[in-house]
Amino acid sequence: MNSAQIEIQLIASLVAIACAIPGTFLVLRKMAMISDAISHSILPGIVIGFFITQDLNSPLLILLAAFTGIITVVLVEYIQKTGLVKEDTAIGLVFPALFSIGVILIAKNANDVHLDVDAVLLGELAFAPFDRLFIGGTDVGPKSLWIIGSILITTIGLLLAFFKELKLSTFDKGLAASLGFSPAIIHYGLMSVASVTTVGAFDAVGAILVVALMIAPAATAYLLTTDLKKMLGLAIGFGVLSAISGYWFAHWLDASIAGSITTMLGFIFLIVFLFAPSKGIIAVMYREKQQRTEVSLLTFLLHLKNHTEERERHVNHLQEHINWQKVRAKTVLDLALKNNMIVFNKNIVSLTEKGDTFTSKAIDYIITNEDAQIEDMKEDFFLFRG
Amino acid sequence: MKEQSQNKETPTYSGVLAVKVDDLTVAYNYKPVLWDIDLEIPEGVLMAIVGPNGAGKSTLIKSILGILKPIAGSVSIYGKPYDKQRKLVAYVPQKGSVDWDFPTTALDVVMMGTYGSLGWIKRPKQKEKKAALEALEKVGMLAFKSRQISQLSGGQQQRIFLARALVQNASIYFMDEPFQGVDATTEIAIINILKELRKAGKTVIVVHHDLQTVPEYFDWVTFLNVKKIATGPVKDIFNDDNLTKTYGINYKVSIQE
Repeated sequence: MNSAQIEIQLIASLVAIACAIPGTFLVLRKMAMISDAISHSILPGIVIGFFITQDLNSPLLILLAAFTGIITVVLVEYIQKTGLVKEDTAIGLVFPALFSIGVILIAKNANDVHLDVDAVLLGELAFAPFDRLFIGGTDVGPKSLWIIGSILITTIGLLLAFFKELKLSTFDKGLAASLGFSPAIIHYGLMSVASVTTVGAFDAVGAILVVALMIAPAATAYLLTTDLKKMLGLAIGFGVLSAISGYWFAHWLDASIAGSITTMLGFIFLIVFLFAPSKGIIAVMYREKQQRTEVSLLTFLLHLKNHTEERERHVNHLQEHINWQKVRAKTVLDLALKNNMIVFNKNIVSLTEKGDTFTSKAIDYIITNEDAQIEDMKEDFFLFRG
Repeated sequence: MKEQSQNKETPTYSGVLAVKVDDLTVAYNYKPVLWDIDLEIPEGVLMAIVGPNGAGKSTLIKSILGILKPIAGSVSIYGKPYDKQRKLVAYVPQKGSVDWDFPTTALDVVMMGTYGSLGWIKRPKQKEKKAALEALEKVGMLAFKSRQISQLSGGQQQRIFLARALVQNASIYFMDEPFQGVDATTEIAIINILKELRKAGKTVIVVHHDLQTVPEYFDWVTFLNVKKIATGPVKDIFNDDNLTKTYGINYKVSIQE
């Protein structure tokens, strides 16, 4: 690896971390689309900032563009509050309007501005190492690295200071307000961080990838954990993993780095979506199947318990009476036998003592909904979990 | 069963006003939901707020707590504005107002009750954790402290909310429909805790839907339907006349005990 390669991966990783932090809260607040809006509507801010400063990396430009991001949020909320349109519609109205202003501004001044729409949408990570920061004539590294580094440090500082407040207002706005933690302040704080991060990241990775880096790692982490801190950690991890693997994927294909990182983000999400241990599609399907079988088992055991007469418990009768297909009846019988809950005696099925106790306990639970009774059954039966 | 949940002892009131609401008017988009409400809630009562859907019951609580801004009127808690008395007040919102899929545990939700006394930036420490565990124990949920909140039943979630309010160790408790969607066992457990709070001299204000249980659970009641219809001791004012005025139809409940 040469130093440019290391620098690109470092920038991509820092961008990923800086995006994953606000992204986690945006996902939990069901505001994923607002990051899309911000990432597009900062364009006029960037263009105007560029006219003034003539420098894409100037802090003034970043602040100006972030301010446009906040204006987007305010406009969306204002339109939504009138009650005339819903939030998603308001988002769909505001950001294309602002974005198009940016596009027109670029087109009108194409000759003087070193900025084109493609670069805005997709970013140019590969060129990031060429634009260097000099302090007193010494080369201290790429400008983008310094910009995103400072944004990241600020974000982490804010996260550490206000983690409790962010968590509270995200989970329960009403309680936050009644305890004196103004949800509006926290909301606009988060929106400001998201806007500044978007602007800072955007030069490197473009408007579209910024959204992916905010939302995809958090959405992936959400499927894997039930702990907010772990969710943040995992989101950061997935972001960095996609950034680095995406870089090498692009290197190998000789393709766009931004595009490859986004592809990796999608790929990792897909894998987790399918295989996550408890929330993944496969786990959910397996659990549903298991639950169906267990409900059947319980129905069957209950039938045995309710009927002492042998006629009702004869194998042939059971099949027609409970009215199950043979396959299902067999699955249930096998499961009951395997768990020593029933015994066969000349084609008459009876509950064993274990089966009898189990049935009573299960019925008791279903009737009273008292959790204590089934704590020890949970290990064996999905039916009683959650 | 009646003997269990019935509380026949007569509560004693100190005569101090816990909450005073003056000329409160709240509107959504210029449509008043609460109209010129005057309300005095004495310290130490266990009070139900009753009224039909859309009567402004939740709105009243939210405006007292400063969550909604009234267009007119004022609220005082022990004689001072709410902003200065936050620490005296605990709030249990409607269970449906939060996302129970949020990645957090029962204990963590209860800990949130301690955030108010911590203030900005400071983190909860051992002391707060201990208080949260005690509150969980009080509501019978200690065994579930590490359970992810979506894995709890509706009644258990409500108990968690109650524990979160208990941990605030407040003087006045506001609860928005704490009995909604809970089973009978949990309902009795909750009302017993509320009665204990009253016994400890706290004031408890509950938005309540089940008119049948008002005389059994509460000693004070406020009838609300956009305007205040009546407020006072259950034994004096919980009658067909006020119910009819509040609910608009000829309402009959048998309230003989």
